Amino acid sequence: MANNINIEVSPVSRVEGHGDLVINVRDKKVEELIFRIPEPPRFFEAMLVGKKCYEPSHITSRICGICSVAHTCASIKATEKALDIKPSEQTINLRKLVYHHENVQSNALHVYFLAAPDFFGVGSVIPLIKTHPEVVNIALRIKKMANDMVRIIGGRAVHPLRIVIGGFTMLPSEEEMLEMRRILKACYPDLEKSLEVLKTIKIPDFERETEYISISNEYEYALYEGNIKSTDGWEIIDQDYSDKIKEKVVKHSTSKHCRASRDSYMVGALARFNNNYEKLTENAKEYAEELGLKAPCFNPYMNNIAQFVEIIHSVDDSIRLIDRILADGLDEDKMMADIKTGGGRGVGVVEAPRGLLIHDYIYDGKGRVEKANLIIPTGMNYANMENDMKSLVPKIIDKSEDEIRLACEMLVRAYDPCISCSTHFLNVKLINR
Amino acid sequence: MMLFKDTNISDNDRYMKTDVTIIGFGNKYRSDDGIGIRVVEELKKLDSFKEIEIIDGGTSGTDLLFLAKECKKIIIIDAIDTGKDTGQVVCIKTSDIEEFIKEDHKSLSLHDLNLCDILKIIRELKIDTEILIIGVKPENTDFGEGLSPGVEEKIPGIISRIKKEIS
Repeated sequence: MANNINIEVSPVSRVEGHGDLVINVRDKKVEELIFRIPEPPRFFEAMLVGKKCYEPSHITSRICGICSVAHTCASIKATEKALDIKPSEQTINLRKLVYHHENVQSNALHVYFLAAPDFFGVGSVIPLIKTHPEVVNIALRIKKMANDMVRIIGGRAVHPLRIVIGGFTMLPSEEEMLEMRRILKACYPDLEKSLEVLKTIKIPDFERETEYISISNEYEYALYEGNIKSTDGWEIIDQDYSDKIKEKVVKHSTSKHCRASRDSYMVGALARFNNNYEKLTENAKEYAEELGLKAPCFNPYMNNIAQFVEIIHSVDDSIRLIDRILADGLDEDKMMADIKTGGGRGVGVVEAPRGLLIHDYIYDGKGRVEKANLIIPTGMNYANMENDMKSLVPKIIDKSEDEIRLACEMLVRAYDPCISCSTHFLNVKLINR
Repeated sequence: MMLFKDTNISDNDRYMKTDVTIIGFGNKYRSDDGIGIRVVEELKKLDSFKEIEIIDGGTSGTDLLFLAKECKKIIIIDAIDTGKDTGQVVCIKTSDIEEFIKEDHKSLSLHDLNLCDILKIIRELKIDTEILIIGVKPENTDFGEGLSPGVEEKIPGIISRIKKEIS
């Protein structure tokens, strides 16, 4: 038993992942808890200034290799709103289709490669290949399926080229759409096997109710478009995000913290699930039920399960979207909208795999960016991760050092932050035990 | 691991699409971390490489697994902390990979999984693709566009090395 603990998580050496975690516990109470991760978008905001309207989506897609479609779409939506560009319904449907598969790419990577090793009690995905080869092979097949989808529609599997303001530079062929449909249909056995595996894992028993924020709309499980909705009972149009979401500077971190109704909130798969459960496909709901995931869920560790349920939904809904696009007929006349290069302000809000993503641009009268503000989901989750750990650590204070470390690491990883890969290598030092 | 030696190979030969894939990794908005992307952009401009599969891999590392399964040989260009002089280029062949993994050199650009991790997975999955990694020790990986002069000047030599490798 320990009354006083000082946990220091050393910065890890990888470029994308200089994370720090400091927890000081005295007399079983958390005296100080600080969690720091870098926030690259600040550089990109400055870089966008002066760029022509065609450029921001290509530049911001490079912020993250895992969220490149999300940044592309948020950027495009902001520009289209600012310049009053109206993409066709065909364009919107194709964007929703490609969007599903970045979510699948990212969720599969996180669930199978980064989180699964925790649940199977192995250090990383490498030993998992020996202990659970079927899990790794399923993961590779699902990730490849999603990569193929993004490549067929976006032109390449990462940093898509064909998705531009106004529409697409090239459409997939009908044959390619049918091939996508066939690939999607073929992945269900792997999803069923995954379900059986996931049913055997034990998710840590920890709950802390917080505010859950995501986009939401009346007609679908929202990923690409919708109002911003909170489980605390408010809903606003995406352009008005700053009425509710406030960024604040905190002393201990170079990253801003975000708050809305409370002092922190959660975004990501679990927030989407809590807000939009009813819009999941019936099949996805059945998977959720089998895995004990019910809305509202206040266990952040269940974010991993929500991510898996979203994979099911995305596969189901992609088949629906393909059928609809094919029924309407792919029409090159609807491939690009008229582009105007005036001025104005536009906000693009989407759900990146990790949660709400906001691009807010002001264009001058000549179609050049005058000001840009990007709010990323990992940044929004900082404060909530801290609050979760403040609640968690006193509850597990009697456990061993290794167990405390693992619980904290798993909690951070459950949020799937952009440093999730690096946090597999946390060095935790306990003092005063 | 062998140190890079510049070779002078002309651009007169046309390379045919074979089972070779060339992939550059990195973030071109993080200074020298973008060396892999910059090299593939240069290769795409060359007529002699028009028939070769050249991929801008960005910062998505796991895609390497699929490529490894689908082709006989992969040439990877990436910023790698080799722990020696900045701008130094190293060529790591399949036979050197075990040593590379053991030394756990940090690939600076693969966002999701580290290059060493990806190579370990390839090994564990018994994928027998031939791999050549051309790694460049960066001078600066801060946010910003453009390469440091000491890294920029290595590009012609890296391209010559790739030509030699696929000829």
